[in-house]
Amino acid sequence: MKCKEFSELMPDLALGVDQASAEAGEHLRSCTSCATRLDEIRKTMSLLDEWQAPEPSPYFDTRLQARLREEKAKTPAGWLVWLRRPAMALVATILLAVGITMFRGDFNKKDSGPIAAFPGTAVGDLQQLDKNHDLYSDFDVLDDLVSQQQEDQTANP
Amino acid sequence: MSTDGLSDADVMLRVKAGDEPAFDYLVQKYRRPMVSFMYRMAHNAAAAEDLAQEVFLRVYRSRGSYEASAKFTTWLYRIATNLAVNHARDTRHERPENMASLDEADEETGTTMDVADTSPNVEEKLVKQERLKAIRQKVENLPERQRLAVLMHKYQQMDYKQIGEVLNLSESATKSLLFRAYETLREQLKEFI
Repeated sequence: MKCKEFSELMPDLALGVDQASAEAGEHLRSCTSCATRLDEIRKTMSLLDEWQAPEPSPYFDTRLQARLREEKAKTPAGWLVWLRRPAMALVATILLAVGITMFRGDFNKKDSGPIAAFPGTAVGDLQQLDKNHDLYSDFDVLDDLVSQQQEDQTANP
Repeated sequence: MSTDGLSDADVMLRVKAGDEPAFDYLVQKYRRPMVSFMYRMAHNAAAAEDLAQEVFLRVYRSRGSYEASAKFTTWLYRIATNLAVNHARDTRHERPENMASLDEADEETGTTMDVADTSPNVEEKLVKQERLKAIRQKVENLPERQRLAVLMHKYQQMDYKQIGEVLNLSESATKSLLFRAYETLREQLKEFI
């Protein structure tokens, strides 16, 4: 075994999670440099043991549960959520029905109005006559003219 | 919930199927390793807890897409690593170069970052604190992948294969990476050995 190959085994050997194979053991006995290096890496790892991490605080679980509850409240997203909430679905259906009814009522009202027709056509002329009749029936000046003509005829027979 | 004979991946598949106690089981099993991993990445107990919680939230969010193709821990540490690296990058300029003093109490917990010290001698205590400060600094100064590999190997007891899977490296590349990292630490911490 060469030093390079042995060096790759060092982390696990130094950590103690792996035992040196016969080949690695032979290299270790014959190579002072690798033996010294392995020993120093072992000591370095012991030094790293001094860096301790704290335990999770007593509030860890409580906080996580609260965050999970928030997470669950958010999901499931999308329009399918409506199908899972009957009350909201009912309100939405009623609003939709009212909206459609109002729209149709408005549409029908528009349908009942006069049909636009071009002047000169039969329908156009009839509509024009209707308008004139309305105009003349409200035109007081014409009544005055008629009554004045009758007076003139009476005075000068 | 009985998890006898079940691997973590099997338990996660139960979570995927809507088994809430299965998720609690995984949280209880991995909360401590997650907090300690994040603590060594974030150097702050409160941030470590927040990040560890975020890991579990992401696990929960991703439960639907979980595939038991890899070990559960590989998947878990991939999530943790991404979060920790992003956090480290985001807060790089917030942390002083020499890091917080070990005498300073943590903002939230009120505890010092040091380990329990039983030595009665003040001088010994100061030496120990200096040593701890150096350890933290030297690990922090390692290149990102080397730092992650050391934290997973030394403190999370993960093997080369798992570390390689988390970091997307071959087993051989992981061994080399770890050797280089420990060599750097050996050189730089020589005075304390």
